[in-house]
Amino acid sequence: MNSTEKSDSFLSVIASSKGIIFKIANSYCKNSEDRKDLVQEIVVQLWKSFENYSDQYKYSTWIYRIALNVAISFYRKENRRRQVSNPLSEGILNLAETTVAEESDENMLVLQQFISSLKELDKALILLYLEEKNYKEIAEIIGITETNVATKIGRIKIQLKQKFSSR
Amino acid sequence: MEDTEIINLWKSYDRKLEESLLFNQKNAEEITKLKVRSFLSSMKPMKIFIILTGIVWVGFVDVLIVNLFTVANPFFLVSAIIHVLLTKLAIGIYLYQLILIYQVDINEPILATQEKLIRLRSSTLWISRLLFLQIPVWTTFYWSKNMLENGNIWTHSFQFIVTASFIYLAIWLFLNIKYENKDKKWFHLLFNGIEWNPLIKSMELLSQIDEYKIENKPFNEIKGS
Repeated sequence: MNSTEKSDSFLSVIASSKGIIFKIANSYCKNSEDRKDLVQEIVVQLWKSFENYSDQYKYSTWIYRIALNVAISFYRKENRRRQVSNPLSEGILNLAETTVAEESDENMLVLQQFISSLKELDKALILLYLEEKNYKEIAEIIGITETNVATKIGRIKIQLKQKFSSR
Repeated sequence: MEDTEIINLWKSYDRKLEESLLFNQKNAEEITKLKVRSFLSSMKPMKIFIILTGIVWVGFVDVLIVNLFTVANPFFLVSAIIHVLLTKLAIGIYLYQLILIYQVDINEPILATQEKLIRLRSSTLWISRLLFLQIPVWTTFYWSKNMLENGNIWTHSFQFIVTASFIYLAIWLFLNIKYENKDKKWFHLLFNGIEWNPLIKSMELLSQIDEYKIENKPFNEIKGS
């Protein structure tokens, strides 16, 4: 694969996974500037790892691993702007201005707030659950057993249901 | 709210996002043309510089110790030996950090990658412990037999108080600089700022990882431990 083909192939993977990247960035960074930087850092690291991609795993597993690893590490950094490799002036993923707010729905707002309140690893788990990944794939992404995935998700769901019922 | 309702709620968010999320192809393309740094590469040059400088320094002190062994006063020799041993240990930790930097692979599962990253960051606390532990030798290396025999009670008392205080402080810090004390006021005073805050945050994640790992063990293994 020459460099143009590699670049085109990468861009099509990113375009088709833009939702995944945005949702992860949005769950770990509520500040829009930080989120923009996080999206860029995820795309940068995906590009850096693109040639090492092994078809042993699905593209989605590969993207989730890198995006979540970057997001979990990124939130700890101070002065994030300085830490981003070659910051771009404009974002890679932008919400259309015509959209009122992605959290306008009240239930959605509760769900988003609940996700934000979770610890980093629990947050990764619930995101993967909501994305309807099966336990095997979640176990591969997080690096725990399927039984552990089931136990953890079960506990988080109980908390989530309590959150909804307490409203 | 039932499981299916929650999943449907997320799907509706997904649909809205699909409609409103714009992919800036031009910016993404720009990234593919940049010479991008790997995840931790920015940490490597400083670590390598510290290791090389440290090796030169301990080499210099080692040469001093060997060449002056028969003529130097014992206080200087003992102080220098303690200093050089602790510095070598600190260099060893920097080497360990460098190995971890090369080992971290963000393609790996999250638990494995994050654990390496946290081990990398938390080993910095060990370097601080070792560096504090060697402070007292800076109050003893200039002692001499002549000074002890001919000094007056005031200089002896002053010297004793200074050295004893530094020894107490160094041992106390060595024993107490640990994650469990992260909420103590003195810890915040020592480890506050751009460099340290991410370290403390990453150590908070370590307790989550440990919790995940315990539950990851087969039941029999937990029972047997």
